[in-house]
Amino acid sequence: MTTAVPASRRPTKPRRSPLIYVGIAAFIIITLISVSERWGIGLDIGGIIADLGRGEGILRQMLNPNWEFLPRVIEFSSQPPFVTGPLVETFQMAVVAAFIGCAIALPISFLSSRTTVPNRATLAVSRGILSVVRAIPDILYALIFVAALGIGPLPGILALIFFNIGVVAKLLSETVDAVDTGPIEAVDAGGSSRTQMVRWAVLPQVLPNYVAFSLYAFELNVRASTVLGIVGAGGIGFLLRTQYAFRAWSNVSVIIICLFVVVFLIELVSIRLRRRLV
Amino acid sequence: MSSRPVDATRRPARPSSLKRNLWITGAAALLLWAALNVGVDVTDLTTLPSGLYAVFYEMYLKSGPDLGYLDKAVPAMIESLQMAWVGTIIGAVLSLPLGFLGAKNVSSGLVSSVMRQILNAIRAFPELILAVAIFIPIAGLGPVAGTLAIGLHSAGTLGKLTAEAIEGIDEGPMEAARAAGARGMQIQRWGVLPQVLPEMLGFWLYRFEINIRAGAVLGVVGAGGIGFLLDQTLKFHRYPQAGTVILVVIVATIIVDTISGRVRRRIIEGSDSTQVPEVDLQAVSTTAD
Repeated sequence: MTTAVPASRRPTKPRRSPLIYVGIAAFIIITLISVSERWGIGLDIGGIIADLGRGEGILRQMLNPNWEFLPRVIEFSSQPPFVTGPLVETFQMAVVAAFIGCAIALPISFLSSRTTVPNRATLAVSRGILSVVRAIPDILYALIFVAALGIGPLPGILALIFFNIGVVAKLLSETVDAVDTGPIEAVDAGGSSRTQMVRWAVLPQVLPNYVAFSLYAFELNVRASTVLGIVGAGGIGFLLRTQYAFRAWSNVSVIIICLFVVVFLIELVSIRLRRRLV
Repeated sequence: MSSRPVDATRRPARPSSLKRNLWITGAAALLLWAALNVGVDVTDLTTLPSGLYAVFYEMYLKSGPDLGYLDKAVPAMIESLQMAWVGTIIGAVLSLPLGFLGAKNVSSGLVSSVMRQILNAIRAFPELILAVAIFIPIAGLGPVAGTLAIGLHSAGTLGKLTAEAIEGIDEGPMEAARAAGARGMQIQRWGVLPQVLPEMLGFWLYRFEINIRAGAVLGVVGAGGIGFLLDQTLKFHRYPQAGTVILVVIVATIIVDTISGRVRRRIIEGSDSTQVPEVDLQAVSTTAD
């Protein structure tokens, strides 16, 4: 069935699907509407460049951090609990929420994978719930829990728990989808129940990934919890908001530097650990 | 190096679990320390069901959500989506040069490690912090500040992903381009870019999905979008309005997620493949933020 092709002729370009042109046209139209002054956000690059100078005074204060403010962020002492302050609270919120959220996410991810749940209706329901949990941004959770419980770290922890469930359950259910089915067949042949199957054939396969995803979620937590305080849900965000409201830029800069150091250190440790796991 | 004969009927000894147990103990100690010092009174949790129910009741049951408020909520959500869209484009455009410079195999060793550190530094700041610390001072309150914050943060995450994608390419086409006389940028354009472009399109769409969530909350600090309405309605206990705003956020996010997920799957699979591999989201998202 092959016809001889003269080698000197250039092969014709494969035809492009017309969908590509539709896609490109849609992309351009959406972008133009989005940046327009009238129907969109009114992005004016020239104006921004002209305005760069406006931020100069603020940035200059930020580059000159007020280190006397540091004890308000984190304070060390020789007595227990040794370190205190809103930065530590942020970290503690992240730790507690990561443990609880990841523990809840484990059964949920088994409930949302077709490997472990053959019943399509059950699967649709649990996946539906998971996509709603994921659609709500962390700050919205915080706003709702603050409305229900008042301000403090508790609503922040609850918000982070939901955030963790969303991240870990999604990633882990995809891992469960992709496990090797050999062990499942083996335990099935051995007469296992569904829970026994999950325990002995699936869990051992996904456990390293689970721990890695949990560490990853913990990293995200630290970053997310820094902003929860902005809506009153505990941690360093609240301090950030007040200093921002006072236009105390050299204090804001201390907070941001501290945050950066903590996030950076945690990421460093977490990435090391994750690399050893997977 | 002689091997001892092993008694085949003896059960092999269990591998030592000392190391694992040490890790578990350490983790438990960390949890205990955090839980005891975080300053949460666990008994407060008893008021959680009633508190949540009260909020839910005020929002949706008492008089139903205030659907008239859709007139304000829908345009605000569209603004959030536009911020996410434009922010993602800004991030994608910036991430290309950053990613090429950050990849060890196409840039030099020193440049790539410096660039990687810069990308790490950018990624460490959430959009809200970038908005508060940099872009609201420059662009003033409003959606432009939020868009730029999304753009910069995305440039950090996408730049890292791009660099990693480039490091994973097949070197063959680069050699072929060089053999055909390509130089500098031409090698990148014809030897590297076509290999990573489909993967990067997938990253961009995935980032867009994440950015929608950021666009929805940046308004809390006055950086544009529906977050402003969320903050105001909940702060002033205007629950029926807040109920409407929350519904709009959830519905819009799920719709855009679904469309974007479809497009992404199509890009990664190609139009004529019948096989349906799971999108390698795991690899994407474990490094995406």
